[in-house]
Amino acid sequence: MPQQDTKRPNRSLVTTINNDGSHFCVHPADIKGRFVRLRRIVGYALIAFFVGLPWIPINGHPAVFLDIIDRRFHLFGFTLSFQDTWLLFFVVSGLGFSLFYITALFGRVWCGWACPQTVYLEHVYRRIERWIEGDANARRKLDRITISPEKILKRTLKYTIFFLVSFIIAHIFLSYFVSLPLLWRMITLSPAENWTSFLFVFFFTTVLFINFAWFREQLCIVICPYGRFQSALIDDHTKNVAYDYNRGNPPGKRNDPAAGDCIDCHRCVQVCPTGIDIRQGLQLECIGCSACIDACDEIMEKVHTPKGLIRYASDAELKGGKTQWIRFRTISYTILLFIGAIIAFQAFSTLNNTSIAVIRMSGSPYYLTADSVRNQYQVRLTNKTNALIQLKGSITANAEQAFTTNGFERAISLQPMEETLATFVITVPKQSFTGNFPIAVEVTNPEDPTLHLTQTVEFLGPDPKLLNR
Amino acid sequence: MNQKPSDQDTKLRPHTYDGIQEYDNRLPNWWLWTFYLAVIFSFLYWFIWADTSFLIDDETSVEQKIAEIEAIQLAAVGELNNDVLWAMSKNPTIVTEGKVLFEGKGTCFTCHGLQLEGGTGLNLVDQTWKWGNQPMSVYTVVSQGSPDTSKGMISWMNQLGPDGIKKIVAYILSHHSEESMQNAASENPPIGL
Repeated sequence: MPQQDTKRPNRSLVTTINNDGSHFCVHPADIKGRFVRLRRIVGYALIAFFVGLPWIPINGHPAVFLDIIDRRFHLFGFTLSFQDTWLLFFVVSGLGFSLFYITALFGRVWCGWACPQTVYLEHVYRRIERWIEGDANARRKLDRITISPEKILKRTLKYTIFFLVSFIIAHIFLSYFVSLPLLWRMITLSPAENWTSFLFVFFFTTVLFINFAWFREQLCIVICPYGRFQSALIDDHTKNVAYDYNRGNPPGKRNDPAAGDCIDCHRCVQVCPTGIDIRQGLQLECIGCSACIDACDEIMEKVHTPKGLIRYASDAELKGGKTQWIRFRTISYTILLFIGAIIAFQAFSTLNNTSIAVIRMSGSPYYLTADSVRNQYQVRLTNKTNALIQLKGSITANAEQAFTTNGFERAISLQPMEETLATFVITVPKQSFTGNFPIAVEVTNPEDPTLHLTQTVEFLGPDPKLLNR
Repeated sequence: MNQKPSDQDTKLRPHTYDGIQEYDNRLPNWWLWTFYLAVIFSFLYWFIWADTSFLIDDETSVEQKIAEIEAIQLAAVGELNNDVLWAMSKNPTIVTEGKVLFEGKGTCFTCHGLQLEGGTGLNLVDQTWKWGNQPMSVYTVVSQGSPDTSKGMISWMNQLGPDGIKKIVAYILSHHSEESMQNAASENPPIGL
């Protein structure tokens, strides 16, 4: 049975999944309006941001360069080594919580305005499709044709460009991890020389291509978990894309006195990228793109009725009340965000551009000679700056403890981004060894008084009773 | 507006929990296919891992990697014997590089002293050698560690590499001559020959 090419959405079925399980391809109609315009500006700005970051050097590295080969992460002039990965906790949980916060206030603005899936689909891929295949009706007509020279030509052209765009996005994504110069070198070499990167780009391109050419809104509806728990993240005072049912219902002719303001023109359904009818209320398919707001406003203007039949409105507003901005949810979220920000700030301020890790040298934990006990250590020092630095090491222990140190007589020089192991030994005369004691290893940079790295390790030896028998 | 879908479209399941009922709609085909492919994959995966002859097992692959690394290290050593080390000890550039390594980062001088006079470690400028009065013996002690593990001289191969060790030995030899070293005493039979 051939599928019909337009559908009336209902709440018992997903529009984009046909009864036989096949994918129903939605062709949203063209729209003009303030939100569409604003959304496009935001979308292109975000794409420019994504494409631009690897090209902008800050402190000698790209603005964002997650260097997995050298295990260093350059973020807007800061360099983190992989020992600092724990800070990622604050980044991930911070982003997650911000998403909760903004959802509580404005619903799914992320989905409609900033999510890469929407940004690339609406502002890149669908624009290309519109340009090659024409408007929604023309696209549906092309879908209906089994085969024709025109269809072959248009589809080949479309999918070729889709593939190229996916290819470019995949390369830019890869450049976040290998930097542009290395990416360029890998492009010029044969695939066999960097086959993992080559496979990554090939795989990523394919995934992007399938996603944007065919899968599209299925990702938001079926795969993405965010929409599934929107009902837990929003409340009566959250501003959502909403249909004013009190004003609009029942839909009917303009000259029907019993009818509401909605003229049942189905314009909001035609422009919806996920194929729902917003008049049936908030649904998990709704990505909050506000296309229906612009569509409805355009119609309302034509029939000389006030705009805003579909608008950003909270449930409370629709019921005739007022949106409460300050409420338990927003207050508690603000407090939690504030606490999180303070802890994150604390954590990030402990970060040094040099790191220290004292380890015991391989071999025995301690060595005995005729008159002394000796411990051998190595200190791993990492210079995360772009300059040559000279570090000075020293050892302190509690005042009564006699010991001598060798190895820190000279400054330890570290090349930019160098990681090295420096060796030192501590010797304690047998007579004065009274048991294990802590020693503090200090590393300072005479040219940078703010740098002060310390780590405490234990000096080990045999039981002193056995030692001086 | 609130169109009732026909019975053909949806099947309402009889159970009710908390007043919520569900439809038994058909899953999207792409989803079903991920399930079918996962089933096929699980059989393939099981088959491949049950029969280890298809893939190299972990132990063999680790051994292969170790062999590869050892081959690279051996290749990096290049030609190595007493004569080569003596020749290197007469090259000022190599000796300077060896000195930098010797004194850098507390590596050798921590125990052997900045003047090679010894301390925690052995004196390297006197006329007594513990593990042999041959350049190759010195190289072997640095690269493999002292045969007497109670003394604390570890293997420096991983940290300095064969190239670094050669330079350091050259720096030590620059304090001696072939003649003086031949006449020096060795407490143990020379190793590493």
